[in-house]
Amino acid sequence: MSEKEFGQKWDRCLADCAVKFGTGLGLGIVFSVVFFKRRTWPIVFGTGLGLGMAYSNCQNDLRSRYVLHSKVAKEQ
Amino acid sequence: MAAKILPVVKFATKVTIAGGALYVAYDSGLLGDSKEGSVTLGRAKAAIPPAVEEWMKYFGFELPATPKIEFSPLDAWNSGVQKSIHALSVTPSTVSDYTKQGLQYVKDLTK
Repeated sequence: MSEKEFGQKWDRCLADCAVKFGTGLGLGIVFSVVFFKRRTWPIVFGTGLGLGMAYSNCQNDLRSRYVLHSKVAKEQ
Repeated sequence: MAAKILPVVKFATKVTIAGGALYVAYDSGLLGDSKEGSVTLGRAKAAIPPAVEEWMKYFGFELPATPKIEFSPLDAWNSGVQKSIHALSVTPSTVSDYTKQGLQYVKDLTK
């Protein structure tokens, strides 16, 4: 992976982290207010979910160069 | 009869609100790939100035103009990293130079 590509991937990772953190936080707040009587744990859970999704996306993005991609040949 | 339906209606409203928020997040690509997330971020950044202007016109007051900050955290961070690593890499030779100078000075004193 070239330096430039690597830098772009990291930039995408960080931006994605911020987006998913905000989304998780927002959805956690919505669910906490609507369903769970304004407790704290749905907010923390949602934020954790968002961060976990961001981590997983980052991992797949950084690994995609080295993963073998195959196609299933159709039976004739 | 109204008393029996009310909890159901309340629950249905809650489900609608929460489900709607979840659907909006899914539809705008916030829960997807990192590429989609950065696209959404770009769209949101582009949509903020017109929205802020609309709100300002509605309320009838001017927000103070954001001051131009010349400081770039990225450049500061990068230069900080480079300077620290450079300092670390020259430490052995610098220390040995200073030690030699110190020993030479002490030798000169004892001559």
